[in-house]
Amino acid sequence: MTSIGTGYDLSVSTYSPDGRLFQVEYASKAVDNSGTAVGLRTKDGVVLAVEKIIPTNLEVPGSNRRIYPIDKHIGFASSGWLPDVKSLVERARDEAWEYQSTYRVPTSPKILSERMGLFIQAYTLYSSVRPFGASPMMACMDEDGPQLIVFETSGAYYGYKGCATGKAKQLAKTEIEKLDLENMSIRDAIKEAARIIYSVHDDSKDKLFELELSWISEESNRQFCKVPKELYDEAVQYAQKSGDSDMEDDEDL
Amino acid sequence: MNGISSFEHPNSTVTADGTYKHTTSPIVTGTSVLALKYKDGVMLTADCLASYGSLARFRNVERLHPVGKNTIIGASGDMSDFQHVQNQLNGLMLSEHVTDDDQVLGTKSIYKYLSNIMYNRRSKVNPLWNKFIVAGLEDGESFLGFVDLYGTTYKSPVMATGFGAHIALPILRKYAEARCDTLTEEEAIEILDNCMRVLYYRDARSFNKIQRAKVTASGIEITAPYSLETNWDFAESIIGYGA
Amino acid sequence: MLQHKDGSVQNHQHGWEPYVDNGGTSLAIAGEDFCVIASDTRQSEGYSINTRFDPKIHKITDKIMLATTGYSADAKRLTEVIKMQTERYFYKHEKNMESHAAAQMLSVILYQKRFFPYYVFPILAGIDNEGKGCVYSYDPVGNMERVTFQVYGSASGMIQPFLDSQVGFKNQQNVDKTRLLTKEEAISIAVDSFTAATERDIYTGDYLEIYIVDANGIHREQKPLKFD
Repeated sequence: MTSIGTGYDLSVSTYSPDGRLFQVEYASKAVDNSGTAVGLRTKDGVVLAVEKIIPTNLEVPGSNRRIYPIDKHIGFASSGWLPDVKSLVERARDEAWEYQSTYRVPTSPKILSERMGLFIQAYTLYSSVRPFGASPMMACMDEDGPQLIVFETSGAYYGYKGCATGKAKQLAKTEIEKLDLENMSIRDAIKEAARIIYSVHDDSKDKLFELELSWISEESNRQFCKVPKELYDEAVQYAQKSGDSDMEDDEDL
Repeated sequence: MNGISSFEHPNSTVTADGTYKHTTSPIVTGTSVLALKYKDGVMLTADCLASYGSLARFRNVERLHPVGKNTIIGASGDMSDFQHVQNQLNGLMLSEHVTDDDQVLGTKSIYKYLSNIMYNRRSKVNPLWNKFIVAGLEDGESFLGFVDLYGTTYKSPVMATGFGAHIALPILRKYAEARCDTLTEEEAIEILDNCMRVLYYRDARSFNKIQRAKVTASGIEITAPYSLETNWDFAESIIGYGA
Repeated sequence: MLQHKDGSVQNHQHGWEPYVDNGGTSLAIAGEDFCVIASDTRQSEGYSINTRFDPKIHKITDKIMLATTGYSADAKRLTEVIKMQTERYFYKHEKNMESHAAAQMLSVILYQKRFFPYYVFPILAGIDNEGKGCVYSYDPVGNMERVTFQVYGSASGMIQPFLDSQVGFKNQQNVDKTRLLTKEEAISIAVDSFTAATERDIYTGDYLEIYIVDANGIHREQKPLKFD
């Protein structure tokens, strides 16, 4: 961000001399301000985990969810500026519904991600609009198996085995890289996702948070939905236990 | 939800003089649907035929459509209008899924939604040419509701659409209505199969390949299509009609 | 409309009538400080009985009932609209709508659909702001009149002269024609009207619902009519 004040960051329709779009980069800063989201893909499914930061303990538990089902077999985990996320979610739902009511087959994740990519990109072309301050993570399953895709603020999108966005994305990515996702069951991935969210959560900055876990797998009948309560509780227990043993390790050092 | 795919005049075509032509008669049609309440819930039945006028055009059609985990809709009348309604209900159930609030849409709500669709379309003088029976179980109570192309609605322990309203309904009223609280599953099946057999003998637009469905405390069950045994010996004794 | 060369006009109307008559009969009789509203519960279409129990009387407020006949789907929608509007009135004014206000509102709601009417013959009945029994009768497009009794529906032709005689004391000499019926008289006349009508009108039958509205609130009674 060395070019602040040069005037090249005032409009999204102007490139800087070195070929950057500052407004798009600023939009990803908005994403970095929100709670961490983690996505893990295994051979048999995808799990999405979100660290939902709670600004006040007056908030009703379980409200203002940040993981959104899009279609029966597609879900988004949000990171970024919430109203922008919701707008993208609404768009994705409309696209998904339009696709399946036209072709009478489950919405193709490939097509949906293409359309969402184009839609986000369109907001990087005109000085009259503001790019989305959101970077949704999409989990889905089709005949080719489970997929995990992240949309960037530019409209670019990539598929991943594991990914992280938000506040502690670097820490989380480092943790994800240590996992053997190829040989992990989705049930274990749920636990790991929970563990990572718990471990990267910064108590000193945000006191309260709620863990959100949704998945899609053979076990969930290829439906994107909340992780069942038993598995959720098990994952939280695992996450808290690993947190405790980490502390003990620190003491040993 | 349906923002992209909504059209200003669904199921209408523009004519040369710029006016709109609406459905004025059904094209491919399904005949009667029968339903009754019994001890464990509700049961309904329909045959697998979709006729094109007097031609038995499609003989493997499913007219009992599940909506969610506790509701079944039985359709008679125009099959393309029925499929349009199926699509709308799929959209409704999808928006329920994505709401992700652990709430389920009950049978009564689905019935009201469908009734509103039907009444609103008749109020545009562009009806969906169907008679529907909505069957289900909500809060442990069985439910049977009817709605047609006029938006007319009613509830009753036994009901039938189309030709069935003339031929099967008196049978259902006699053998099922008064005893619907004690009627066993076996008895219910026997009554409905008999009604469908009588209909097959008398309704020229019916078929002996039928399906049956039930909603009980353990959910929905729709049978695979099966054939009714018939006996045409009596035809020998019929005199006239060129025979 | 298509204009032909010879000047004749071909009407391009679709041959579908958006109305049906679902039969049934409703009546209301006003007393000094009460009101009796009665309807059968049969719903029919043509020669078929759709159901034996489809109530046509609906509670609007604690003091007002609406009895309908005609096209059932329109009647149900009309009832929903009136209930919604009276509820909005309640939250906005923090009091229930008085019967004369509800009566005028019903007229307006009906007239709003003057050129695609609700095919409904409504009777609004209950207790007025002075505590007196009241009956308002309408035609489908909103013409309104306050009366002391009214009957509408498939058996109205049979019941009307009976009520004219027994409630309105018409064509009688040496009687007080302004006298209002007692509660017992009104109920018994309502019951007799329906038992008689059921015998001759195929669209009236199954069950009789009677509501009595007075200072104590709303009281409901149900009697079986003939199932044939």
